[in-house]
Amino acid sequence: MAEPKIPVDLLLASLAEDAEKVQERAKKASDVLLQPLDTEIATTPYDVVYEEDRVKLKHYRPITDITFNYPLLVVYALINRETMLDLQPGRSVVRTFLNAGLDLYMVDWGYPTRKDKFLTIDDHVNGYMDNIVDFIRKRHNLPKINLMGICMGGTFCVIYSALHAHKIKNLITTVTPTNFDTDQGLLHIWMKHIDADRMVDSLGNMPGDLMNFGFLMLNPARLIVDKYVGFLENMDNKPFVENFIRMEKWIFDSPDVPGETFRQFVKDLYQKNLLIKNRLMVGGNRVDLSRITMPLLNYYGRFDHLVPPAACDQLTKHVGSVDTEDICLDTGHIGIYVSGKSQRQFAPKIIEWLRQRDQPEDENSADIRMQANPRK
Amino acid sequence: MDEKAKDAGGPASMLEAWLKTSSDFWGSAVKMMAAASDVPGVFKPPFYGATGRAQESWEASMKTWRAIAPVMGEPGALEGMIKGIGSMPELLVKLMKPAWDGFLQLQQEYMNRAGRIGKSTTAFKFENLDRDVFKVWTEVYEKEFRQFLRLPQLGLLRVYQEHLSEAADRLNVFEASMAEFLSLVYLPVEKSLKVMQEKLAEMADSGQLPQRSADYYKMWLKTLEGHYMTLFKSPEYNRTVARTLDTMGEFLVAKQRILQDMLQLLPVPTQREMDELYKELYVLKKRIKELEKKLETDRNNYLEEPAVYAHAKEPA
Repeated sequence: MAEPKIPVDLLLASLAEDAEKVQERAKKASDVLLQPLDTEIATTPYDVVYEEDRVKLKHYRPITDITFNYPLLVVYALINRETMLDLQPGRSVVRTFLNAGLDLYMVDWGYPTRKDKFLTIDDHVNGYMDNIVDFIRKRHNLPKINLMGICMGGTFCVIYSALHAHKIKNLITTVTPTNFDTDQGLLHIWMKHIDADRMVDSLGNMPGDLMNFGFLMLNPARLIVDKYVGFLENMDNKPFVENFIRMEKWIFDSPDVPGETFRQFVKDLYQKNLLIKNRLMVGGNRVDLSRITMPLLNYYGRFDHLVPPAACDQLTKHVGSVDTEDICLDTGHIGIYVSGKSQRQFAPKIIEWLRQRDQPEDENSADIRMQANPRK
Repeated sequence: MDEKAKDAGGPASMLEAWLKTSSDFWGSAVKMMAAASDVPGVFKPPFYGATGRAQESWEASMKTWRAIAPVMGEPGALEGMIKGIGSMPELLVKLMKPAWDGFLQLQQEYMNRAGRIGKSTTAFKFENLDRDVFKVWTEVYEKEFRQFLRLPQLGLLRVYQEHLSEAADRLNVFEASMAEFLSLVYLPVEKSLKVMQEKLAEMADSGQLPQRSADYYKMWLKTLEGHYMTLFKSPEYNRTVARTLDTMGEFLVAKQRILQDMLQLLPVPTQREMDELYKELYVLKKRIKELEKKLETDRNNYLEEPAVYAHAKEPA
């Protein structure tokens, strides 16, 4: 092969120019990095209103009048943390919900330790989640509440809604995998090959760092190389640096996943795809999706490399509800919650959708109770 | 030179001389110790009985040694012993031969294949990778080296020794899998650089070479990303990841077993004991929660329809 004739003179001139810019940037960057940076995440005030083992229920303090009859419970995944929904004031799904007058609760799954390795999907769904839903229902004197799930938390919400349909007013699933028989996402391909039994038996809980390594390996060129090249190119830009560090804080804050939950999730869902086939057993009960009869809004991202559209878009066809809607945004798995474009599309649409379905089913019960017990 | 003189510097005479000297030395030492202990005014420990017992034991050992040493010094016995010692290298050579042969075989295979690594794979193709280097290493290890770690262990501590050997074995297998995984992950970098060369040559021929270094980086990154996507979907990669995770799991279990053996000696609970305890706690808590829920449901039912539960006492 002949040596390519690269315009070395032009490149050298360009490199010299770049070097000058880099020098100038490095000088500014040191000023930026050495001064106090605002990199706090999840700053919206909340109270912990319920605790059970490692699990906490956050209730966000309203910042305006509550204008909805039914409160919303958000269930995050067991992977990473729910702080992603409140990364920074300008990009906070939590704040958008509060500004609209939603009464907002969020599950904080905490950090599982070795003693939590026996906890199953049943313990999370029929245990913690059900207790939390009952707590909120009792607190508000309501028969039902709204439920919103994120990723794996969405899968839990789907299972919960099928098993406890009478407690859920409206269901919202976001980037939620329910059909696992697809080769669209690398995660789906890889999960079919791993020996979950061996991993859980040897590791106990599934380490968050190991999972994060797996996620980085989904696209090393972008996530290990280009991302940090981008940081170096912008490290003289204070808002960029602050946002970047906030995201780093969130992305590498990875609790371990309880071993038995991981085992069942991989074997029954990723490998056998039992949920969409209505054959998943949780706590001795079969999860029948046709029992999901409440309104369902199903959000997913067209460029989601973790939970691709094919993993999400089957749900609405399998539930018993007649009021369903699929929305596919031109974004990725995280971008759906944090990108500027999504801030204008995602949360406002959920608010609007919920408002249209906020009327009490029995006017003699919830309406009257809400009037007698207005919450602010 | 007569036979005796010829043998003066030989191993038999040297050993004989050493046996005699050491026998005389330790014999004198015993006598001196006995005499010293009888000298008036010499400090005697409070538990003189215990010291005396040690001394008795020492004297008994010395007597045995003095009885054996002359016999060992006999020319016949010496000859046998030397023969035994002489056969040691032969035994070692026999033992080491398969391992050495295996090592040489590996070297040869490695050299043969190392030169072909770049040639045998093409850009954006990961189906027929030349992973034989790792395969050969694993085969050689399993055939030739592993057997040393699987030698049957004897005696009181045999179980612990077996655990150690097993952990060493698992570690070797895991490291081999990890090396294969890392080499596989690095392959796209190599390939992307090769593709870049080809692309640049084409662009140079058509006079379309970029002038900014950032453009070269973008081009390389896109190529690299494409290679990774192709690799990650290949069955070879999936098999390697699965094998690496499996061997890691096996090594962790073996390592855990050694830690367990060591922790047993210390006044701390082992992980297995803690897991048993956690399991019991988990089961107990689950039962209590179920009972609490049932109680609450019964109570609510009673409050809603007391007539149905009239025969039962009101729950607290």
